[in-house]
Amino acid sequence: MKALPPFNHFPRPLGEWLKGQGPESDIVVSTRVRLARNIKAWPFTLRSSPQQREELLLAVFEALKSIHLEKSVVQLRINEVPEVYRDVLVERHLISRELASSEGPRAVVFGRGEMLSIMVNEEDHLRLQWIKSGLDVDRAFRALAKVDQALERRLPYAVSPKYGYLTACPTNVGTGIRVSVMVHLPALTLKEHVQKVFKAAEKMNHAIRGLYGEGTRAFGDFYQVSNQATLGRSEEEIVESVKAILPKILEYERRMRGQIFSDERPMVEDRVFRALATLKNARMLNVQEMMSHLSLVRLGISLGIINDVTLATVNEIFILGQPSHLQREEGREMTPAERDAKRAELVRTRLIAGRN
Amino acid sequence: MNCDCCKKNEAKVQVCDVEQNAVVQQFAICNDCMTLLKRLLFDPATPLGPTSEAVKQVQEMLSSKDKSLTPVEAPGKLTVADKQPEAVPACPSCGMTLAEFKQRGRFGCARDYEIFSAHIDPLLERIHDVTPPQHRGRLPQGEADESVTGKARELAALRNQLDDAVLAEDYERAAQLRDRIAALSSDARSKPGKARKEGP
Repeated sequence: MKALPPFNHFPRPLGEWLKGQGPESDIVVSTRVRLARNIKAWPFTLRSSPQQREELLLAVFEALKSIHLEKSVVQLRINEVPEVYRDVLVERHLISRELASSEGPRAVVFGRGEMLSIMVNEEDHLRLQWIKSGLDVDRAFRALAKVDQALERRLPYAVSPKYGYLTACPTNVGTGIRVSVMVHLPALTLKEHVQKVFKAAEKMNHAIRGLYGEGTRAFGDFYQVSNQATLGRSEEEIVESVKAILPKILEYERRMRGQIFSDERPMVEDRVFRALATLKNARMLNVQEMMSHLSLVRLGISLGIINDVTLATVNEIFILGQPSHLQREEGREMTPAERDAKRAELVRTRLIAGRN
Repeated sequence: MNCDCCKKNEAKVQVCDVEQNAVVQQFAICNDCMTLLKRLLFDPATPLGPTSEAVKQVQEMLSSKDKSLTPVEAPGKLTVADKQPEAVPACPSCGMTLAEFKQRGRFGCARDYEIFSAHIDPLLERIHDVTPPQHRGRLPQGEADESVTGKARELAALRNQLDDAVLAEDYERAAQLRDRIAALSSDARSKPGKARKEGP
């Protein structure tokens, strides 16, 4: 198998959002706020020539230089990033699959803490996002709004009084804001109540999707709760509406966790410990298997059944066990079977090293 | 030649179904039927199918003798717009047509919102569950700060002027602006540091 070219632009420690900290971290993994922006002078990405995309990229780089973001930012042109590493960026939620696989001049700029990320020449000229661990919508929004307001003084955004911030897709127009909260709902999934939550959320104009966003399936019982509408409401109203729906979901999940713990304790303990035993002993693990077992271990931690593994360790394994992260760690391309073996090894060693 | 729809009036308009740049079917229809067809094709409430489907629907309407469906407009003179199956003009900036937008679900530039306004408002009402579609959030604080100089702003300003020049068909000025943009971009590119050259 081919060795991977050297590529040293990734910060070694994983992003802040995987720390397993922050409010409600027993259920909420992370909070993400994203803003879609386009710059007045250029056609949207769909209609931009490679030359125009290059011009825009340079204009954005220039503008970013004059803003004091974080002490050090990583600025990557996607065309210069070898393919495996593009997938590493996707797995870390720093770029979208679309940005990884599209063509022409395009880039990502992100902070060392991996909280801020700015995609350039995605579907919209700019996709700004801020991720924080736990449920922290206000802080993520305020941090991102600051970057956005600094940029708008340097780059004239495409706006209209009637439609607000103009975006390539009409589903994002207006505020251009998407607030998504990643939640872990193992008890609701186990008791098959998740569909009810979905329906209730839809009625309140919110969407629940899989882990990697639109059109993806939820796996490992992780879901993203986000606002649907972006037009006709202020940013604050949207932020408040997402904040308002979450306590209901959290309360429901906790009630179900309590219920299964009191009514079916032997069954829950059995499933949790079997999952942990598998992770500690397996010699081959595919992604789905790893995710579903980790989900049960995570549940075990928050129920107090498991005391020697931290949430941070579980979150880390989730990302480090993804296919491209494994290959980066190994420094070469691997077959699926090789990856399964490597994944099992990683999970075993991390579970031992990550003990409380 | 008689109209393919009503088989009565003289056909004045050629309508084609195009698939991957090839004409797959052609119709010759009269102005009355064209008015009906346009209503069907560009009514935001109906999903856009092939023109042949719409022609069939017009034929059905006519045979059903439903009077409410007869064209209200008097048959006028053949106009340029009538010659094309597209009743709403394409965006002069990016060339986006309503049909392409319906197919892709994406706009080509900021002007599309203004140009297709009447057609996208019902769509926006549905998507965002808001009537009428009116932005209520923040907007940039005034125009971008003029005191902030630098290449980013300059490039953006030149690009705006270039668009205006092309629209005004002032090609001499457009060429000058294009050269200035090119010079400014290559200047920024050759600067040492962050901006690196695009890979293959």
